[in-house]
Amino acid sequence: MKRFLISLLSAGMILAAGPASAAEKLTVLLDWFVNPDHGPLFVARERGEFAKRGLEVKFIAPADPNDPPKLVAAGKADIAVSYQPQLHLQIAAGLPLTRIGTLVATPLNSVVVLADGPIKSIADLKGRKIGFSVGGFEDALLGAMLARHGLSLKDVTLINVNFSLSPSLMSGQVDAVIGAFRNFELNQMDINGRPGRAFYLEEEGIPAYDELILVAKNDRLGDPKLRAFIDAIEAATQYMINHPDDAWKLFLKGNKDLDDELNRRAWRDTLPRFALRPGALDKSRYARFATFLKAQGMIETTPPVASYAVEIK
Amino acid sequence: MKFLRPLIVFAGLLAVWQAVVSVFGVAPFILPAPLDVLTTAIARADVLAGHAKITILEIFLGLLFGTAFGTVSALTMAYFRTARAWLLPVLVISQAIPVFALAPILVLWFGYGLAPKVVMATLIIYFPVTAAFYDGLRRTETGWLDLAQSMGASKWAMLRHIRLPAAMPAFASGLRVAAAVAPIGAVVGEWVGSSAGLGYYMLLMNGRVQTDAMFAALFVLAIAATAIYFTIDALLRHALSWQPETDPARTF
Repeated sequence: MKRFLISLLSAGMILAAGPASAAEKLTVLLDWFVNPDHGPLFVARERGEFAKRGLEVKFIAPADPNDPPKLVAAGKADIAVSYQPQLHLQIAAGLPLTRIGTLVATPLNSVVVLADGPIKSIADLKGRKIGFSVGGFEDALLGAMLARHGLSLKDVTLINVNFSLSPSLMSGQVDAVIGAFRNFELNQMDINGRPGRAFYLEEEGIPAYDELILVAKNDRLGDPKLRAFIDAIEAATQYMINHPDDAWKLFLKGNKDLDDELNRRAWRDTLPRFALRPGALDKSRYARFATFLKAQGMIETTPPVASYAVEIK
Repeated sequence: MKFLRPLIVFAGLLAVWQAVVSVFGVAPFILPAPLDVLTTAIARADVLAGHAKITILEIFLGLLFGTAFGTVSALTMAYFRTARAWLLPVLVISQAIPVFALAPILVLWFGYGLAPKVVMATLIIYFPVTAAFYDGLRRTETGWLDLAQSMGASKWAMLRHIRLPAAMPAFASGLRVAAAVAPIGAVVGEWVGSSAGLGYYMLLMNGRVQTDAMFAALFVLAIAATAIYFTIDALLRHALSWQPETDPARTF
């Protein structure tokens, strides 16, 4: 009787143990609908880089780009794709977030005008209408760019066109737009027969920054899953640099609706801008941008970079 | 005394808000506490007032045009059968199209000034006003019409002396609904493209992660919308003071 009970108990324990290595779930909130800027994320998934490290990653695209960091800060998701300039504002607002990696290591934001238009330099923006999208620090960026030419925000009219950046510019509703991503809007306008000219922010007096970063909640920083995630992104980025065409095909596997001319061109233009070392951090770069935002009056203090940006272990 | 009850409800809602924040420990960047919103609202009172003026102007213009077009459409549909056949489907479709889809097109046509917001608010107001007024015109007491006809009244006289006054209560109901939804039209118009207004300010503050300022603007909008509704309600009740109001809960 005793032997029967013991064998029954052991059988039960073996059955209850489950699979030897269950994949750990991670929810990643994208900054916008899936686009080539998210290349490393999807190539990592298709290459099995997540599965190899015991991760099961779910990507969710938001309706409002401002939500993902707030949701991660509220503990509703694990990682958010966000923007370095926004991170400084979020930290100033008290969100418990930390940058754990970089996706796109150059600015993508630019001021775009029609190529055949009258605006040949930032100084020509005087008296013009400028459209902007997400809203937040566009006036800080423009203010700094205009100041170099002796102008101020009073010399221009800012209009929030939400996400109709290219349409409003191409239809002539506005003379220039800021917040246009150089890898996207420029290609979109070219394909539509109204090519644009871009003024790159970092060439017009704005300190360089990381356009797309990965953020997590402060109390999650010891989680080994986060490091594994960064390693997976690093492997995927390496693959993309070594095999750009194959990587594009992998990216399309999960995103068939992105197989068009615009996304193909955007992929080509974004490739040189992905962070080749996603986990690496340049503290001085973040400090420099924070100082810039403070000088523009967007934030009041510049806390130590280590408190909101780390190289995850 | 009349204002005491709404004030108590208002205070109660504030208490519930504060309770939700305190009890559930909601993060301030998701739902700020009422006190923070109030301090921010007071600190930025001038900015909020400036934006509020613009949104309120959009709402009023929307109400004006929506009511004007609505009354004309309702009268046209009531008196011309062909107009009714063609206008009725257009009326229904105008409501089925989500305003969000229409807004960018309107902005492209009308630019980013006041016009597209007013058009948006007008579109939203048009249906309730037209539908209510049209119904009111059709449902006149047949007894009165028979009496008028027997006295030799012309169609025009019947309209002026019987149908129109009889349709006023229904028209008033439509107008009340319009007053309630007009702010939505104005704000949606601002979300799509604007440089001023409470909707624009809410978007801007959302982008700057200044959630308390966003809620302050939301609050001002709610107060403005409520004030507009009750003003129109009071005006209508005064204009239609001859209409008997009975309380369904009481028996005679």
